Amino acid sequence: MLSVLLNSPANTTINYLPIVIQLVVAIGFVAFMMSVTHLLGPKRRTSDKLANFESGIESVGNARQPMAIKYFLVAILFVLFDVEVIFFYPYAVNFKALGKEGFLAVLMFVAFFLVGFIYIRKRGALDWEE
Amino acid sequence: MILIITASIIGVVLLFASFLLKHTSSLLHLVTVLFAALFGVAIWEALQPTAILTQSFYLDAIRVDRFTNQFNVLITGCLFLYILLMKKHIAAVGKYKAEYFALIAFIMVGIFMLSSFNSLLVMFLGIEIVSIPQYILAGSDKENLKSTEASLKYFLMGAFSTGFLLMGITLLYGATGNFMVSEFNFLQATSINPIALGGVLLLIVAFGFKVSAAPMHLWTPDVYDGTPTPFTAFMATIVKVAAFVGFMRLFQTSFTAISSSWSLVLAVVIALTLFVGNITAVFQQSVKRMLAYSSIAQAGFMLFAIISLNAIGRQGMLVYTVAYSVASICFFAILIKMKDYTYDGFNGLAKKQPFIAALATIYMLSLAGIPLTGGFMAKYYMLKAVLFEGSYMWLAIFALLMAAVSVYYYFKVIIAMYFKEGEAAMIDSFTKEEKLYLTIGALALLVVGIFPSLLTGTI
Amino acid sequence: MPIQYYIFLSLALFSIGVMGTMMRRNAIIIFMCIELMLNAVNLLMVAFSNYWENSNAQIFVFFIMVVAAAEVAVGLAIITLVYRKVNSVDINILNRLKN
Repeated sequence: MLSVLLNSPANTTINYLPIVIQLVVAIGFVAFMMSVTHLLGPKRRTSDKLANFESGIESVGNARQPMAIKYFLVAILFVLFDVEVIFFYPYAVNFKALGKEGFLAVLMFVAFFLVGFIYIRKRGALDWEE
Repeated sequence: MILIITASIIGVVLLFASFLLKHTSSLLHLVTVLFAALFGVAIWEALQPTAILTQSFYLDAIRVDRFTNQFNVLITGCLFLYILLMKKHIAAVGKYKAEYFALIAFIMVGIFMLSSFNSLLVMFLGIEIVSIPQYILAGSDKENLKSTEASLKYFLMGAFSTGFLLMGITLLYGATGNFMVSEFNFLQATSINPIALGGVLLLIVAFGFKVSAAPMHLWTPDVYDGTPTPFTAFMATIVKVAAFVGFMRLFQTSFTAISSSWSLVLAVVIALTLFVGNITAVFQQSVKRMLAYSSIAQAGFMLFAIISLNAIGRQGMLVYTVAYSVASICFFAILIKMKDYTYDGFNGLAKKQPFIAALATIYMLSLAGIPLTGGFMAKYYMLKAVLFEGSYMWLAIFALLMAAVSVYYYFKVIIAMYFKEGEAAMIDSFTKEEKLYLTIGALALLVVGIFPSLLTGTI
Repeated sequence: MPIQYYIFLSLALFSIGVMGTMMRRNAIIIFMCIELMLNAVNLLMVAFSNYWENSNAQIFVFFIMVVAAAEVAVGLAIITLVYRKVNSVDINILNRLKN
């Protein structure tokens, strides 16, 4: 079996057999352990045990309460600026090939980026306290 | 190309203008100067000796040709007229005055990309740059629930159609292996790839959403009605025409060879658009809503340029750009001063303001397509284009019938102004400059109606 | 793997997105379905890019992601605005207010 695996050419279906075995074993182990603990463990359900564990302090109120809208604003701005950075990946790969012209283009991209950042700073989107 | 850069810079400058200029009047002066500069750059670029050649930029992703230059001049001209007439009203919409103008400048960047793309990537970016600021403009009147509703509806519909657009682009890429519209190699293929055909159909659906062709028009009346009127005037005219130019550019350069497989679908879409737009417009009580449906009806005529796939269609598109945009913008400029947006609100306007009523009559006649106005010539070119192509005689006859229906609801406004007694209450009076700009608009319509070759002669 | 598998998978995802957009009533869920449509497109783009052995489409995917992020920013802001006004993101409420 093993010799078949080692001698077979790359990229055939048989190469994936160890992964399948690993997967079956992992899932089987998890399922086995969970069912065993469920069957063997003692069951004592009280209201204290069902409450959320908050480091020993009694929990207060609902977790889904409204947050400050500022938080939302910062999160959205983070997403925008975060995603724009992916354009650096293709540039990093072709850094040498693109040369001076590519560098200037990226510089312009960053400049537009900064314009947006200066704008949101001046608008006060990042001022936490008012 | 310089035009795209200029428009971006104008957008950035206006973004920061709100921090530097405290007074609305100085802001409005700056806006006028900047948009006049944009118009000037468009004319300058079209007058270059190289303007009649096809130039390519950025690895051939952008191609500027003669049609692009002509269209850019006309659309920036319409924009300048729009800014002159509406700047006061735009500044009155809400708190962030300079930002509204900045968004309009950014939309212009997208429009210039739509008139010059050669890569589907640039087309996609152009459409998105045009769409996303529009969602904001639609919801700019934050106190008004109708505006917010329009914004949400427009956003959901726009994002939905973006999904179709992208799927169409992807399927085309899957069929051909590149994004360059001028090089689609399935054009030479003898048999049609089903993946490519699916892509073309999805693109028709996506563009149908953007230009509000039936049955993808359902968002249009609510959105145009809820949006603050100055921005409705922008969305229904300049942006819509630009979307048509993008649509036409893509289909005329890439899909001519396989037109037999999609043109019947488009013909059905056109017939539906003409029918729904005109018939529903008849039953409207509000003039603003009537204009929304009439923009759907006019979209049906503009779609002729896409189905006919010839040079006459391209010329017709240019005439339509001016005739439709100028008439609608000027009429919106009158409508925005009225207290009551229903037909009854116009009762007796001719007695109170004879000059304004006469101008409004010219705009309505042009939209209805009465001879000697630009609207007639626009419709004439479109019908000529589709008859030249030969296979859609029934569509042309149906369009004529529907144009006759449209006369009814446009004339209702004229009848209300001239033959009914009433107050015609206005919020605000017209200044001297505004009257001048409105007159220039009416003259432009008449000139285009009598000498359309001024616009089309050089193509 | 044959390219057909990718086409079927992403068309299935795309259809789920389309159906969800048309059938659900919650604006946030509609929005998530639209994002699902875009991600189905991304998957297909990358698969085709591999099939044609050029990387054009992978760059296109970057652009789709960035545009989607911009759309998210605007869209969530609009939904927040609606929620503050009517205390709900159900789109039926908006239709009721039409007339």
